[in-house]
Amino acid sequence: MTDTLLLDVRGLDGGYEPLQIFRKIDLSLVQGASVGLFGPNGHGKTTFLKTLSGIIDPWDGDIFFDGVQLNRPGARGSRRWRNFNYDAITRRRMDPKAVARAGLIHVPQGNLLFPDMTVAETLSIAPYASRGRANAAETLDKVFRLFPRVHERLSHKVRFLSGGERQMVAIGVGLMAAPKLLILDEPTLGLSPKLRGELASAIQTIRGSGVPLIVVDQDIAFLEELIDTLYLFDHGRISRRIEKADMPTHEEIMKLMFGEDHH
Amino acid sequence: MTLETLNLILLGGIVLGALYALMATGLALVWTTLGIFNFAHGTFIALGAYIAWQIASTEASGAGLLAGATVSIIGMFVIGMLIYYLLIKPFERSPDIVVKSVITTLAGATILENVINLVWGPRNKQLSPLLGGDMSLLGITISRNEMAVVALALVILAALGVFLQRAPLGRAMRAVAQNREAAQLMGIDVERLYAIAFGLSAALAALAGILIGSTRFMNPSMGSDPLMKALIVVIFGGIARFTGPIYAAFIVGLLEAVMTYLVGLYWSPTVLFAIMIVVLVAKPEGLFGRYRKSV
Repeated sequence: MTDTLLLDVRGLDGGYEPLQIFRKIDLSLVQGASVGLFGPNGHGKTTFLKTLSGIIDPWDGDIFFDGVQLNRPGARGSRRWRNFNYDAITRRRMDPKAVARAGLIHVPQGNLLFPDMTVAETLSIAPYASRGRANAAETLDKVFRLFPRVHERLSHKVRFLSGGERQMVAIGVGLMAAPKLLILDEPTLGLSPKLRGELASAIQTIRGSGVPLIVVDQDIAFLEELIDTLYLFDHGRISRRIEKADMPTHEEIMKLMFGEDHH
Repeated sequence: MTLETLNLILLGGIVLGALYALMATGLALVWTTLGIFNFAHGTFIALGAYIAWQIASTEASGAGLLAGATVSIIGMFVIGMLIYYLLIKPFERSPDIVVKSVITTLAGATILENVINLVWGPRNKQLSPLLGGDMSLLGITISRNEMAVVALALVILAALGVFLQRAPLGRAMRAVAQNREAAQLMGIDVERLYAIAFGLSAALAALAGILIGSTRFMNPSMGSDPLMKALIVVIFGGIARFTGPIYAAFIVGLLEAVMTYLVGLYWSPTVLFAIMIVVLVAKPEGLFGRYRKSV
């Protein structure tokens, strides 16, 4: 493999046993570039990202990140008898803590974080992933500059925060982990337009500071400003790869995905 | 009832409460972190006491109580981690882990109890007291040993509370309990934390066993009654907070002491259960609980 690729996903298969959610995903990211994933709900984007970060074990395929293979080589063993507890005898192909410690940080969709911990406590455990890679105090400062609201809410428990504040804390936690690549799964989901704008500009600042992103969002205009390559995700496959230069408009994408005009 | 009797009952209740608090906190630690109920906890109590006896007693190695307690607590920490890897971890990702772990931990409890029976025999044994002699307090005479038990239990519980609040490892443990997936995404080694939580719980059980062994008698099934009481305490107090089971333990201990005085030893569990049911009807998440993690 070439050294210029930060992330190289080859032929990734996965899903929730026995249901396959996505097939043969190929996705690559050159150093310093960002990608966006776009596709309808329920087509496997979140499952794919969870597999990428090791929460769900991949069935087949390889993931290379920053020159290291994240999964154990070889395909997953056969799982012929459905009633047999394969987990007891097989090792997992991916280890989520190794992924996080390598610097591939995933901020999941609708993150609930730790409802009964204060914001300060939540931020204080995040550096587990970045041990030895970053200065925690410095990063904390950066997070506070980016999200002044997080600083105001330090002593509050996470479950008392609003959805937007919770999302800010979630992204802050992701930054505390000193990401080499940050995965944001629908960061603006369910937020008011005002908060949406606030978060979007913060995410742009993060991108501007040199952190590559994988972003899932339903807002093409927002994605367009952040990313270099757009992948269209459709029925568990990547149906199209679009470079920034020929980024289509919203209408064109709707046409591509659904084959009809929505106006 | 004279004032002296009342004081006697109160002190007896406090000693009981301290022991229950140790056991219930160990139980709650596993319950909140792993989301399972450890039926082997009672046997951990017995095993801890017997390991301490083996090292400490003049009939065996005779190395003294301090050495015995140290070996027992460290040993039980390791045994607890081992039990986790053998009995819980294989079912970690199965959706009905709660039911399966009931069976596996019950099996573990039975096997360990029989091992104790085989190795040390069924006869009652006793550990030497922590402190000898009596002291007088509030006009009554009590053994200094019992006061030492209460003090030690409180100090250990306070230390555990500080550990969970302040130490990175303790915070990570609480994080895993509250949202396992988010904790994994932060690079926390969930499996190791589960093993440590299980080991800590077993070490607390060992300490409780030692304290019971030094204030009463020990036999291979000495843990089954305290286990039931600890279960009552955990349900009674709720597990939303670390301190819930501790307050509840002292309430249950005092209630038990009063009930034993008023209605006798045989009826006091019945009354205790009746009170627990009334409390749970009125406040399903426990006396000090806000909500309960569904298991």
